Amino acid sequence: MLNRTRNRALHRTGCWAGYCWTLLLCAGCAGPQSALAPGGAESEQVLGLLRVMVVGGAVIAALVGGVAVHAARSNRENQEKLGRALIIGGGVVVPAFALAALLVWSLPMMTAFRAPGDGLRIEVSGEQWWWRVRYWPEGAETPIETANLIVLPAGERTEIVLDSPDVIHSFWIPALAGKVDMIPGRRTRLVVEPQEPAELRGQCAEFCGTSHALMSFPVEVVPAAAFAGWLEREAAHAAAAEPGPAEAGAELFSALGCGGCHNVRGTGADGVIGPDLTHFASRPSIGAGTLPNEPEALRLWLATTGKVKPDVMMPSFGMLGAPELDALIAYLAGLR
Amino acid sequence: MAANRQGSRGLWTLLTGPVVWAVHFLVCYIGTAIFCARAGDPEADLAPVRLGIGAITLVALAVIAFVGIEADRRSGPGLVFECPHDEDTVRERRQFLGYATLLLAGVSFIATLLVALPALVIPSCR
Amino acid sequence: MSGEHDAADRAHREAQAERLLAAWRTPTGWRYWSAVNNSEVGAWYTVAAFVFFLFAGVLALLVRVQLAVPSNDFLSADVYNQAFTLHGTVMMFLFAVPIFEAFSILILPQILASRDLPFPRLSAYGFWSFVIGGVFVCGSIFFGAAPDAGWFMYPPLTTDLEQSGIGTDIWLLGLSFIEVASIAAAIELIVGVLKCRPPGMRINFMPLYAWYVLVVGGMILFAFPPLIAGDLLFEMERAFDWPFFDPERGGDPLLWQHLFWIFGHPEVYIIFLPAIALVAMIVPTFAQRPIFGYSWVVLAAVGTGFLSFGLWVHHMYATGLPAISIGFFSAASEAVVIPTGVQIFVFIATLLTGRVIFSTPLLFIAGALAIFLIGGLTGVMVALAPFDWQAHDTYFVVAHLHYVLIGGMLFPIVAGFYYYFPLVTGKKLSDRLGRTAFWLMFSGFNIAFLPMHLTGLRGMPRRVFTYPEGLGWDTLNMVSTVGAFIFAAGILVVLLDVIRPKRRQPYAERNPWNAGTLEWLCEMPGKPWGVRSIPLVTSRYPLWEQANFVRDVDEGRFFLPDAEEGERETLVTSVLDAEGVQCLRVPGPTFLTMAAAVFTGGVFIFATYHWYAATAVSGVLALASIIAWLWTGTAVIPEKDEKHIGHGRTLPLYMSGPRSVGWWAMCITMIGDMTAFFSLVFTYFFFWTVNPSFPPEAAPGPGVLWPAVALAMLIGAWALTTMARRWNARDRVLSLRAGLALAIVLAAASMGALVFGVRGTGLDPTASSYGATVWVLILWLAAHVAVGSVMQAYCIARSMAGKLTGKWDIEIRNVSLYWHFLAFTAAATTAVIALFPLVD
Repeated sequence: MLNRTRNRALHRTGCWAGYCWTLLLCAGCAGPQSALAPGGAESEQVLGLLRVMVVGGAVIAALVGGVAVHAARSNRENQEKLGRALIIGGGVVVPAFALAALLVWSLPMMTAFRAPGDGLRIEVSGEQWWWRVRYWPEGAETPIETANLIVLPAGERTEIVLDSPDVIHSFWIPALAGKVDMIPGRRTRLVVEPQEPAELRGQCAEFCGTSHALMSFPVEVVPAAAFAGWLEREAAHAAAAEPGPAEAGAELFSALGCGGCHNVRGTGADGVIGPDLTHFASRPSIGAGTLPNEPEALRLWLATTGKVKPDVMMPSFGMLGAPELDALIAYLAGLR
Repeated sequence: MAANRQGSRGLWTLLTGPVVWAVHFLVCYIGTAIFCARAGDPEADLAPVRLGIGAITLVALAVIAFVGIEADRRSGPGLVFECPHDEDTVRERRQFLGYATLLLAGVSFIATLLVALPALVIPSCR
Repeated sequence: MSGEHDAADRAHREAQAERLLAAWRTPTGWRYWSAVNNSEVGAWYTVAAFVFFLFAGVLALLVRVQLAVPSNDFLSADVYNQAFTLHGTVMMFLFAVPIFEAFSILILPQILASRDLPFPRLSAYGFWSFVIGGVFVCGSIFFGAAPDAGWFMYPPLTTDLEQSGIGTDIWLLGLSFIEVASIAAAIELIVGVLKCRPPGMRINFMPLYAWYVLVVGGMILFAFPPLIAGDLLFEMERAFDWPFFDPERGGDPLLWQHLFWIFGHPEVYIIFLPAIALVAMIVPTFAQRPIFGYSWVVLAAVGTGFLSFGLWVHHMYATGLPAISIGFFSAASEAVVIPTGVQIFVFIATLLTGRVIFSTPLLFIAGALAIFLIGGLTGVMVALAPFDWQAHDTYFVVAHLHYVLIGGMLFPIVAGFYYYFPLVTGKKLSDRLGRTAFWLMFSGFNIAFLPMHLTGLRGMPRRVFTYPEGLGWDTLNMVSTVGAFIFAAGILVVLLDVIRPKRRQPYAERNPWNAGTLEWLCEMPGKPWGVRSIPLVTSRYPLWEQANFVRDVDEGRFFLPDAEEGERETLVTSVLDAEGVQCLRVPGPTFLTMAAAVFTGGVFIFATYHWYAATAVSGVLALASIIAWLWTGTAVIPEKDEKHIGHGRTLPLYMSGPRSVGWWAMCITMIGDMTAFFSLVFTYFFFWTVNPSFPPEAAPGPGVLWPAVALAMLIGAWALTTMARRWNARDRVLSLRAGLALAIVLAAASMGALVFGVRGTGLDPTASSYGATVWVLILWLAAHVAVGSVMQAYCIARSMAGKLTGKWDIEIRNVSLYWHFLAFTAAATTAVIALFPLVD
């Protein structure tokens, strides 16, 4: 009876350990939105903290598991001293010191992560379900507005100021740093320090309505020298529509009233309810990370907006015929 | 009867350690929250708050220690594992309450120290 | 000679047993549903909670099917959002807390050999309220009307009437029922554990289950009321546009988060501790020795209970609070690991120093501790804010919470099923099926949830109805889905084991596990009387340590072996040494409690649909049934002052004042009420802290005059009530009735002055959070004064019916107690709304 218990317990522990290791090994394969593939100062430090806690935790789990198995199968007399040592040592003394150490290590990290930025400030506003982004280079008097894409200079600390006009969202770029909520009525801030040029991904991390799952954004970390150039191009007015379908598309854009919601600098479209489209074509995705920025995806978006992103505020334009959609797509593709 | 009346207090005294911890915790948190909210500036220097927390932590620890030592006296000789306080007498019952009070004071002491740690290592409202 | 004596003795005992059986008989036929005894109510409660568990489990399987592959379209976004919200809501509010209430109702009276809980009708009322509320909440999804914004329903999303429809109101409704049922449970448990133990069961002999549920009862009093207060604010904003959470008018979404999590964090310990209590009862049995470190377990229970109240902001680490504030909660979140860990080591030490017998319950406990240990370790991780800033709101937390809940609660509950099944039905569950279920559940659970730690760290947030491929989440999600179904198969095996017909299976032997605590006095199958006689206890494990114990109980040689008057009786004892204080008569079957629950339910349900006329009618009927219940079942004047309980002892049958269980119930309820009131006061000072000027510059205040006038009149009413109690004690009946009548008039005038006076200042509750907060405090006070006046009128009626006299005065003493709390509430309210703006 007791041997079966022991064998079962050991067998179980062994299987479990093997399973864990396999999973841990897979931790090497990470993606653009992974906290386990850090590309920023904060996420790097947190991964270090995590590694220590995982190893420590595994050791504790193995020790406690081993003691428990031994306790169940041991029939020796006079184990009271050991029992007492377990309760006082394992229950009080070891945790008290270990936890104090963890606190002393991790508490100052919070203040360090929130140290001020180097000068560039980006305001991001979470709106159901997209991202309004305004760049404030140091000393600027007006911001450069865009949407659904964050570009950051590598090697610098950039301050991101967050808010929301509607419901609570959360801004999270796992590869760079932890998340900060965007709360109506408050302004919160996050400072990121990306280290190398990279293409990353961020996502909203607080349930914010029907299409919360479809609110993400690409992040491009570019060399610091290249950043200023990018910002200049971003500030410029929209490229004029080329003759042909794109020109027809521009007229259609105006006729359909798209400018009531969207802003395209340098044209009559100056709406602020929806994302800025001035340099739409230079963004890798549409619908806040929902679809890739390709003609066929764009067709799907325009024709069946509500099906692609349930409850979205933008109406669908399924009533348009194919040539009209082609024209619009050509126009939007020209907004580089 | 007399034993009971004195003893009823014993059940409430059991909770003294944790109650002191709770009051200490609330004073630390509420005091800091109001200070930082009123200060407005995240770089505001927390020195007055940290000193205050240091002072009330010492007071709290002293009270908890006092309660613990008192309880230790009441709980009779030896550690609980030698005498598990399971004899059917009023004396054993009182000793049990004393011992339980001591243990709770102990965990409250450690918890109060841990809660005071942030004031030690964090200098501003950031 | 001795033969005749024996025969006469036996005949006498059999006659006693027959009378006892008759008094405690379970009603049959359709009257069965009028039962209030803990065996029936506890069984119904357990079945209902388990049914809700299965319902929520199916919702989880639907969620996992949708997430099995990327860009899946098995569920639409809307249905998915309802599914995961309802899964969490039902699991937390309709299963996790109710199952502990159910178990306690079922086994606590057995553990304390007390035949029933002190307020059987209250438990029945709690149960019926729970079932009505639960069916309503669960049914909503079939109409597409389930809540859909997460189990914690954060505003402003949920106070936006366009985006949050009736589902949100149904969520609030469901919660209201659970809150009622939980406060009722807290009263039963605290009074039951402290006042209804068998004679001689000193406080250091109390079974550990009793210690744990005592702590949990206390926790409920301080954890649920902030949620009640928050729900009130939430409903006022949704129904009447009072802007508590609207930042444009001075409100703050964070207020809800504070109130919810001040409830939410202790809530998970309210869920965990009673389950670990089962472990504390089961482990000694299978280690064949008393628990090693009884005092340490008491430390663990009380310590965890207290420390758990200092953790709540760790659910809000990402909201941008100052690091030092976050730090306090981080420290407390780590500190709670110490008492939590201590009890685990006590269990291990008990096994170590005992001689372990393998059994199915112990197998589930082994699995529980293994899983809970992992959950505890990841808990240590997320307690540190820098790491939590990555893990928060990702699948890492989903993994953590399921490890602690399933390891810390579900597996122990299943162990408890296997252990206590013979106690409830007289037959054992199958060891073979149990073992199969265990391995399916254990492996399925780990296959489902262990990968989620990785999924979360690879960037998958929570509450997403789908995800794109190529982010490294695809395989992990598929594995989790497969694991979930394996786990479900294990649950199914347990279900089959429970419901399979056992007619041919023989009854278990008495005390089948050879345990040492009182619940195992139970015969197989059990008799409705709980115990044949209430024993005198002189040790912690009477069945192991007291000679001839079972035989003496069976032969009625202890207390109350008889029911000469045909009444259901149990003993009330003193708190520390369990010396006899009163012979308590508890009520038998009635349909009144079901009626009261139905009509109370009607009030909440009709209000949800804004059918206010029906709400009012239902409210009147609810009040009537509650008054009928009180009138017929409480403060019953006995036919004699004292009763012989056995061994030459007599105890009074009627007690009033601080030694009576009714007074305790009022006191406990009012402590909970005060916590809710303080939560509203917290709301006022929270706004004062976060708003640059509060009261806002332009707002007309309530002023000082009308609040002061109202307070003066209310103090008058309170003074009259206090005097009325003294007059009544001297049998000055007319003074009692006149005094109370005048008090009612003064109270009404006081609230009239307050409401109309403040209205006159023009303070508008919809214009700003300041107006809303002041008005909600006024509303709270007015509602309580109304209830207090109903109580005063009740006393007048009882006095006129001759049921309230100088000698028999439970009613006026309890009502006077209520008015003490009310006077304090009024003084505090006046200080806050009228005086504080002057000093600020």
